[in-house]
Amino acid sequence: MSAVVTAGLTVVVDYGLCNVDSMVRALEECGAREVERTRDPRLVARADRIVLPGVGTFAAAMRNLREWHLLDVIREASARGNVPFLGACLGMQLMATRGTEGGASGETEGIGLVSGDVVRLEPTELNERLPHIGWNEVDARVDSALFAGLSAGSDFYFVHSYHLRLSQTADEAARTPYCGGFTAAIEARDKPVFGTQFHPEKSQRNGFALIRNFLAV
Amino acid sequence: MIRFCSRCLYPDSKPDLWFDARGVCSACIGFEQRKEVDWEERRREFIAVTDRYRSKGGSNYDCVVPVSGGKDSTYQVVRLLQEGLNPLCVTAMTDSLSEIGRRNLENISKLGVDHIEITLNPVVRRRINRLALTEIGDISWPEHVAIFTVPVRIATQLRVPMLVWGENSQNEYGGPAAAQENNVLDRRWLEEFGGLLGLRVSDLVGLGGITGRDLIQYSYPSDNDLKSTGITGIFLGYYFPWDGYQNALIAQGYGFETLPTMVEGSLANYENLDNYQTGIHDYFKYLKFGFGRATDIANNHIRRGRLSREDAVSMVKRHDGKFPWTYLGRSIAEILREIDMTVDEFMAVCDRFTNKRLFKADNRGKPVRDREGNLVPVFELK
Amino acid sequence: MLKTRIIPTLLFKNVGLVKGKEFDSGRRVGAALQSIRVYNLREVDELVFLDIAATPSGARPDFREIDELADNCFMPMTVGGGVKSLDDIRDLLAVGADKVAINSAAVETPELVRAGANEFGSQCIVVSIDVRHGADGKAEVFTHCGTRSTGRDAVSWAKRVEELGAGEILLTSIERDGMMAGYDVELVRDVAAAVNVPVIASGGCGNYGHMASVLANTRASALAAASIFHFTEQTPREAKRHLAGLGHRVRLAT
Repeated sequence: MSAVVTAGLTVVVDYGLCNVDSMVRALEECGAREVERTRDPRLVARADRIVLPGVGTFAAAMRNLREWHLLDVIREASARGNVPFLGACLGMQLMATRGTEGGASGETEGIGLVSGDVVRLEPTELNERLPHIGWNEVDARVDSALFAGLSAGSDFYFVHSYHLRLSQTADEAARTPYCGGFTAAIEARDKPVFGTQFHPEKSQRNGFALIRNFLAV
Repeated sequence: MIRFCSRCLYPDSKPDLWFDARGVCSACIGFEQRKEVDWEERRREFIAVTDRYRSKGGSNYDCVVPVSGGKDSTYQVVRLLQEGLNPLCVTAMTDSLSEIGRRNLENISKLGVDHIEITLNPVVRRRINRLALTEIGDISWPEHVAIFTVPVRIATQLRVPMLVWGENSQNEYGGPAAAQENNVLDRRWLEEFGGLLGLRVSDLVGLGGITGRDLIQYSYPSDNDLKSTGITGIFLGYYFPWDGYQNALIAQGYGFETLPTMVEGSLANYENLDNYQTGIHDYFKYLKFGFGRATDIANNHIRRGRLSREDAVSMVKRHDGKFPWTYLGRSIAEILREIDMTVDEFMAVCDRFTNKRLFKADNRGKPVRDREGNLVPVFELK
Repeated sequence: MLKTRIIPTLLFKNVGLVKGKEFDSGRRVGAALQSIRVYNLREVDELVFLDIAATPSGARPDFREIDELADNCFMPMTVGGGVKSLDDIRDLLAVGADKVAINSAAVETPELVRAGANEFGSQCIVVSIDVRHGADGKAEVFTHCGTRSTGRDAVSWAKRVEELGAGEILLTSIERDGMMAGYDVELVRDVAAAVNVPVIASGGCGNYGHMASVLANTRASALAAASIFHFTEQTPREAKRHLAGLGHRVRLAT
């Protein structure tokens, strides 16, 4: 389908809670030549690109990343500074410093690729229901690499109740006007770390354009 | 697992078929009921309805008859001429016309009628054939659309208010009771029973470079246009007893040509002779639902007492659902070349649409083929 | 703004798709895969896929079948039918479901809803509620494809599953199903007013006007429909154009 083929190993981390296939298929459809879904830390360690997909609760996902020895290799890969990351939905939230979903004590340590907390959305208008499920518009920063070529206010597919509250707004790539507005995508200023609160792999044309942009980083 | 009608060989995997408490399918029940029909009365109804719609004073045609050149449309034209009508025959050209199909079309004109043939842009047609095959597993989808829309468009444009269709396929092949009773064909009938598999013409716009202006002939006239002409579509099969085999005999008496041997995957030499792609269409019906063209034909004979169920079972097992290596003598590779597809690509599309609850698959879910390339059913027809 | 979703429903039984009236699912309407691929072409907002033979026959969901369908599905997909355990939910998500619908098992073991929400997040736990009105006019919840009464009232059951952690409610009117004469607007209104999770209205859609009527009179977040898309020329895309023309917020794919 895609004219552009992206070489190098793209790893989709399978932390055991969700469907990884649709992300794998979307990456392939967008021209990634070598895509592996894995929970093998050795494979993650030699990835050229790391994708964290996402359904599940924050605490359960972190538990599995830790138990399966994935957490350390992910942090090490990020420290190298040349491995692009894409987190989608929970995958983006896990990149934060802390999460508050599903943990027994109320708080769970995240991977810590960006500084911020994951907290529950709070409705600010009458008919803002939670979870936030469906298609909503996303307003991106004009210089965003992820959203290059996408029109302002493009619709993407969301399904979540929590959002990432960044400590530094400089890391924010896009916002969505729901529950008073929340961070819909991140793009760290100092390292190739990207994330989307929506599901690009389920967002059809717009989502695939975004994935192609990620692969081109 | 699937079960079969206790009288004919239809499985309950067939769309729009239902079974009664005795295990008899709706196609057989519908046929039984038609035995009660007073055909003399129906013929009077036919005369009444055609008198109402036919041209007064002879300045226009009495009706439009869609014709493919096959046995049924040849019979239709013969019948309408016998009833004293002046039909305009309209052909929406088939996907990939065979030589014998061409000769049979010529034969229709020679019955003594005016005949319009419309050939739809073949470049676009091939794209739609391919797209329909890969996306919904039906290479013949554009044909199913065009054989309805083209005659209706012509009738509207020439202001001929009556279309005479052949059989109501919901009759011979089952279908909801209300649809079987229905004797008119409107747009809703087309969408519901026309075999369009949920794909709508409007879905094609934007795919593979197809634009709205490529689809003019595939589009149904607007409700307003239909209303202003006051078009009615009737099924000839409602007014006269319908039997494909009898139609073939009559058609042959009027110059219709058959093949010297049975058509591949079928049990007849007198139908589906016009389009090289039909073998692929019928094969996909088999891999989705577990029955093919041989079953359809055997059932028509069983219901009319020409074939025992037992004999039909063994013939169908022999012929139904065989991989369509050739059709009307042409190789699959050559047939696929027209739609720019290789045999390997075709096999992959087959695998995708094969119903894994009906056919054996390996542990990765890939359908198993025997040495002849045929699927291995996990059900047994009996 | 969040868009109202138009969601085709696919009912799967034994070997293919069916669509009936009032939960009598006798009519076969074709193969599942071809339908999913048509909806891909249309870029529909979401799909609901329910295996209606699974619970009555006591079978687990057919993971291989769903895996294959999900591999061909480029839309968000909710899968239900025969879901009875956390393992069922996990395995459905693993083969490609984005959300999992629980119906009979939610009534039999409400804890499943809570446990599912804790493990996988509320956002992927849909509770499917089938409702029929009794002689006294009460909107009663039925399970097992509408064959078993529960004595529960629809509104209070909806509130209960929301407390348990359901992230969405798929609300189907049994007597409207397949009739194409309009949604049960009152039922949708009452349930959507009682809960704060999104409610998908289902059962009865026959034309775009029926969809508009739900949006004008209730707080439903999405509209599911089947017969209209199986049997008529009406498509989800045209439905959304119609609704947009009336000022409703829908996603119009380019």
